[in-house]
Amino acid sequence: MVDIQDVSFAYEKEQGTLSHIDLQIGQGECVLLCGESGCGKTTVTKLVNGLIPHFVEGGVLSGRAVVNGMEVADTEMYRLAGQVGSVFQNPKSQFFNIDSDSEITFGLENAGVAPEKIKERVEATVSVLKIEKLLGRNIFSMSGGEKQSLAFASVYAMNPSVFVLDEPTANLDAEAVNSLRGQIMQIKKEGRTVIIAEHRLYFLMDLIDRAVFLQDGKIIRIFSGDEFRRIPEGQRIRMGLRSFTDPVMKLPCARPPGTKDGLSAENLSCAFDGQRVFDGISFSAIPGEVLGIVGYNGAGKTTLTRCLCGLLKEEGGTVRLDGKALNRKQRNRACSLVMQDVNHQLFSDSVWDECELSMPEGRAEEIERILKAFDLLEFKEHHPMALSGGQKQRLAVAAAILSGKRLLVFDEPTSGLDYRHMLGVSRMIRELAGQKCIVLVVSHDREFMEKACDRIFEMDGRRDGNG
Amino acid sequence: MGVSCKKHMLKFDPRTELLFLVLENVVAFTQHSLWVEITWVVLLLLLIIACGCTKAAGRLASAFGLCLFLQYCIFPIGPKILASSFTILVSYARRAFPCLIVGTLIIQKTSIKELMVALRECHIPQGLIIPLSVTIRYFPALKEEVGYIRDAMKLRDIHGIQKIECLLVPVMISATTTAEELSAAAVTRGIENPAHKTSMVEMKFGMQDFLCLAFGVVFCFISVTAG
Repeated sequence: MVDIQDVSFAYEKEQGTLSHIDLQIGQGECVLLCGESGCGKTTVTKLVNGLIPHFVEGGVLSGRAVVNGMEVADTEMYRLAGQVGSVFQNPKSQFFNIDSDSEITFGLENAGVAPEKIKERVEATVSVLKIEKLLGRNIFSMSGGEKQSLAFASVYAMNPSVFVLDEPTANLDAEAVNSLRGQIMQIKKEGRTVIIAEHRLYFLMDLIDRAVFLQDGKIIRIFSGDEFRRIPEGQRIRMGLRSFTDPVMKLPCARPPGTKDGLSAENLSCAFDGQRVFDGISFSAIPGEVLGIVGYNGAGKTTLTRCLCGLLKEEGGTVRLDGKALNRKQRNRACSLVMQDVNHQLFSDSVWDECELSMPEGRAEEIERILKAFDLLEFKEHHPMALSGGQKQRLAVAAAILSGKRLLVFDEPTSGLDYRHMLGVSRMIRELAGQKCIVLVVSHDREFMEKACDRIFEMDGRRDGNG
Repeated sequence: MGVSCKKHMLKFDPRTELLFLVLENVVAFTQHSLWVEITWVVLLLLLIIACGCTKAAGRLASAFGLCLFLQYCIFPIGPKILASSFTILVSYARRAFPCLIVGTLIIQKTSIKELMVALRECHIPQGLIIPLSVTIRYFPALKEEVGYIRDAMKLRDIHGIQKIECLLVPVMISATTTAEELSAAAVTRGIENPAHKTSMVEMKFGMQDFLCLAFGVVFCFISVTAG
C-alpha cells in the first residue's frame, strides 16, 4: 500500500516540481502516471522508491509518503529496496555488473540472503519471467530490449511488493514492449502493486486499474481504468497523450534501387565483428521524401545507417548518390547522422560555435538564418549542454544543414518523447524534406512514423544479436 | 572484464592474482639479472596463455621483444642521442611488463563480481570496493561511448588536435549522467545494506592457486637473494 499525502517538492535545478500531490494506491493495483514531459510523473515515482529525499540532493520536500507502513523519508534506502523495486528508463546505465547472472543476484547478495535461497529465487525468476536466454551473457552484447528485461528480472528476484517503472519502454522496439507487457501482467497476477510512468500507452491500456493525469506538477484528474479507456481521441490529443492503440502503418514500401535523383542502395551487405549482419539490401530514397527504416532489434538498422554514412565498410554492393557511386570518404561528406543520444555529437562551448565548427568559412547571416529557422537564435550564446533535449536535436540538425549535407539520417529521434514533442520532431523532419533533403528515419515509434514518413523500408535480418 | 572462463582453461582465485601482482613488483624491482627477468616474463606469459589470454599474450610478448631489441641491438649501434634519450624510458617500460601481464589476466578473466568478493574477503572496506568496482564497470561503457563520438566526429569532419577536445567534452558530460544513473540503480537495489553480503560466486583456493603461489614465492626468493 502506497500513501502519498499532500506532497510538494521542488528540485534545485531540474524541472518536475510537484505541488500538493495526494495519491493512495492499494496493494495489487496497477496505476499509470501520465502527462507531458516535465509534468512530474517521474518525480512521483521517486517519492515511492525513496530517491527523493535520499538520493536527489538539494530539493525542498513537504508532506509525507508512506510505503507498506514505512515512512519513506525516515527509512534507509536499503530497507526500501526490499519492498520497492525500480526499473528505469535507460537500459544502458542500470547495471552494476557486466555479466547477466551477477546482475540478477546482485540485490539479494546485497541483502545478505543465503546462497541456497538466492539460487532458489533465481531459478524461480528465470522460469516465471521466461528469461533463460539472458543467462550467462555479457551485458554489452545485449540489445536494449534484453537489457530492460534483465533489469526487470533483477528487480523481480528481490521479490518486492511494489514495482516502480519509470518510462521503461522509452528505448524499446515493439517486440520488447510486448515482452515487458507480459512481465507486467505476470506481476499483476501475483498481486504486486505496479506504478508506471509512461508516454507510450497502447500496451498498458488493458492492464491499468487507474490513470493519474498530471500537469505542471499537479494531479489534474485520476481516471478509473474504464474512464481512461473511454477518453475520446480529441481529448487525448488535447491532453498531450500518445496513442491508445498500437498504430498500424499503412505506408507504401521504399522505391526500388537505381534512382538517378537521390540515394540508391544497391545489393548492399554488411558484416560487423566478422559476422554477416544483412545481405542484398536495395532501395532508393529521393529528395523531398522521408523514408522510414523499421525492423526488430538485431535486424541491422544501426549497421545499415553506419554503412550508408560511410562509417562502416560494406562487404558488397554500392551506395549511389544521384547515380554516382560513392566511396566511404565521399559518404562521410554527404551524410549526417542525428544520433539517439545527441550529446555524443555536440562539441562546442556555445550554440554559435557549434555552427561555426560545421561551416568554418561560414557567413554570419547564413548561420543566423538557419538558427532562426530552428528556433535557436535566442540561445546562440548558450552552452549546447544547457539546452533541452529537443533543442540539442535541432542544433545537431542545424549543424548538419550548415555543412551542406544532403542526406540526413535520424536514429530513434523520438525515444522517450511525449505527444507534443513527437509532433515537433515530425514537423521538423517534414520541413527538411520540403527543402529537398533526403531524409532517412530509423525508429520503433510507429505513431511517429505514420506522421513523418512517406515510405517504409523493412529490414528482417536475423533476429538475435546486437541492434 | 570477461564474463567467464571456458571450462577447460586454468582459472585462479582473484586473491592469487592480486598476490601475484605484489610478488611481481618485488621481483621486477629487486633483481638486476636480465636472464631472471626474461625467464620471469616468459613464465608469466605461459601462465596467462594457460588461462586463455592467447592474443594478449602475443601482443605483450612482441612488445617485450621490441624493448629488448631496441635496448640491446639498436641503442649500442645507433646514434648516441637515441640511446641517451630513450634508454631510461625503455628499461623502465621493460620493468613494467610483469605487472602488465598479470594486469591483463585480471582485466580479461576476472569478473567485477569476483574481484569485489575477493577484496571483501581480504577485509578491504566497502567504501573502497564500491567506487573501485563502479570505475571498472565504467570502462566498457566508455569504450562504447567513444565509438559513437568518433563516428560523430568523422561525419563532422573534425581533424587533428581538435579531436581531443571534441572527444573530452561529450565524454565528461555523459560520464556525469551515467555515474548518477548507475548509482541510482545501485541504491534502489540496496547496495548500502550493512548486512553481511553473500555471494553466489564460490571462492576457493584450489590446488592451482597453491602451486602457483608457492612457485611465485620460491622464484621471488631466489631472484632476490641471487640478484
